[in-house]
Amino acid sequence: MSDRRPPTIAQVIREQFKATGLSLRIYLMIAAGLLLVATFLAITDFINGRGGVEFAPELSMIPAFAGALLPIAVWHRDRPFGSRFLWTLPFDRTRHTLAKMLAGWMWLMIAGATFLVWLLILALITKGNIAGDEVVKLLPSTVIPDPVTLDPSLVRTMTWIPPKALWLVPFTSATATYLLVTAITLGFKHPFRWILGTVALVYLMAAIGHGLAADAFWPRLGRITNTLMEGRYGVDAVLSARTESLHTQVVLSNAERIGVWRALPKISDWLIATLLWTSIGITGLIAALYRNREQR
Amino acid sequence: MTTTNATALAVETTNLVKHYGDQVALDSVSFNVPEGSVYVLVGANGAGKSTTFKILLNLERPTSGDAKVFGLRTDANGPQARVQIGYVPEQQESPYPWMTSGRLLEYVAAYYPSWDAAYAAHLVKSLNIRTGKKSGTLSKGELRRLQLAMAMAHRPPLLLLDEPTEGLDIIARKQALSLLAEHLADSPTTVIIATHHVHEVDSLTDYVGVLKEGKLQAQMQRDELRKFVATQRPNDTRPLSLEDAIATLLSEETSR
Amino acid sequence: MLVTLDNRDPRPLYLQIMDEIRRAIVVGKLKPEDPLPSVRDLASELVINPRTVSQAYQELEREEVVYVKRGQGTFVSPVNKKNSRERENLARSVAKRTLLEARRSGLSAEELIESIREVAAEEEKSSRERRRA
Repeated sequence: MSDRRPPTIAQVIREQFKATGLSLRIYLMIAAGLLLVATFLAITDFINGRGGVEFAPELSMIPAFAGALLPIAVWHRDRPFGSRFLWTLPFDRTRHTLAKMLAGWMWLMIAGATFLVWLLILALITKGNIAGDEVVKLLPSTVIPDPVTLDPSLVRTMTWIPPKALWLVPFTSATATYLLVTAITLGFKHPFRWILGTVALVYLMAAIGHGLAADAFWPRLGRITNTLMEGRYGVDAVLSARTESLHTQVVLSNAERIGVWRALPKISDWLIATLLWTSIGITGLIAALYRNREQR
Repeated sequence: MTTTNATALAVETTNLVKHYGDQVALDSVSFNVPEGSVYVLVGANGAGKSTTFKILLNLERPTSGDAKVFGLRTDANGPQARVQIGYVPEQQESPYPWMTSGRLLEYVAAYYPSWDAAYAAHLVKSLNIRTGKKSGTLSKGELRRLQLAMAMAHRPPLLLLDEPTEGLDIIARKQALSLLAEHLADSPTTVIIATHHVHEVDSLTDYVGVLKEGKLQAQMQRDELRKFVATQRPNDTRPLSLEDAIATLLSEETSR
Repeated sequence: MLVTLDNRDPRPLYLQIMDEIRRAIVVGKLKPEDPLPSVRDLASELVINPRTVSQAYQELEREEVVYVKRGQGTFVSPVNKKNSRERENLARSVAKRTLLEARRSGLSAEELIESIREVAAEEEKSSRERRRA
């Protein structure tokens, strides 16, 4: 009976794409509903003269958030540890896992593109700024914004041309979160236990540190967290090319509240951070795949 | 790898051992299932029947020993072994409850190039499967019938059926087994049935494998087994059914 | 039902099928040149491995009780003296089984033969009375 062959990878990817789309139907419908509500709100805002929607693809964390949640939906019924139906099918486990992961990613990219197009259309309708040249206010690097009021003369004004590469941010950030969460979902028999366990451990360590009156602990932990999240190659660099964390509000000495930038985001920071975190995700994924491999 | 048998073996395990932690699921089991035969695997729950199937599908790796399907080692040739197997698992739950029965059949069809669409349609009709119904809303019996169709439609040379008639009413049970007999007439198939209901597969049985606590107590042809048990109790001349013989064998081992 | 199987019968299934076919021929349910049920149909009806049915049919063919017409199936052989031997074989087969049953009940062959004669005579008498009434 050796004339029977397993299906090709193309056939498997095609079927997984269709099946994954089917399984995500309900979430896509919910998302569509939310978009409708958001559209309604944005248009009423515009009509009431409260300004248009700004098209800043790098600012929306929604695709990245979706990328983090998607693996849970994708692997919900096909957990790798055990004899779930997917693994009884005649295809190598590792390649099968990759095919299913790819199928989910394809839907993620489609959803991200749809989201972006919707945002663009909304911005056009409401005559919002479409990533055009922006006049931004910059703080000198020596000043750290705080409740302390600021001398207006310290604020520089300049024109910033947002690089078109920022349009890619939703796709790269979503891919990075998708890879990382997929690695966790596939790598551990009980991923939630690991996540909760890590969180609990951190709190335990903090409690111990605090209990030991180690006053250096909290600030040190804070600095580590800060670097991890908002550093040059931190999480925010991946999620928003740092446009989120570099932007802040200050109160001027004349009691005026303005939005300023601590520094302008650099594309190179974004690229390196994306590569860094995506590599971490891929490494985790390889480890998870190895754990679940078919052959000895 | 020489065999003195003229008949090729569809499934052959050699001193197969499987441990789950310190629990012994299979203890040096050597199955021999000739091609084209119906092999009935009996034993209490937890005796090792489902574990055997999982190893043949390479869902689990042997702790030691090996398992071969049509001469291929299952742990080294998982996908190639599985493409020749139609499997009905013990669990009666849909893998994807949101998929309709029809969609599930399409899903499986994509994975088996030998899928016979016309035969699948015939099975759907014979087994009264409602293709438009969401598979998560099917009754246990309907789901079992769907699982049977999914396993048989690609005409695999080996069928592994774990309690195939579970959840089916009396009429449906007879229908399903008759359908299986017809299937055997149309396609050369080896069947391994793990079941508690020996009486309903009695006449279908060619070989019996009796598992107890992970050990293969007996592996014989249907008539040989009955003769064997009968000779063990010469004073009792009552004619023995297969079920009686197996029950006697299992209880004898306990009393020893 | 052309063929019925007894799961408690110690005979292998293919032999049971053969005997049942022979019986059907002897009692006239199957006449010479009649087609036998297809292997598929009989296997489905009896819930039995078709290979067992095939085996039975092949053996019957070897004994020239039936013959195979290519592409059309298996048919009962035309009348010849082998059929009368079939009657004999059938009777012997029935006798063997009955004797086994008798011995199990502690009866001797002679007791059994005497009882058969008595019971047959009684049944003949009561059926004649029913016909008269």
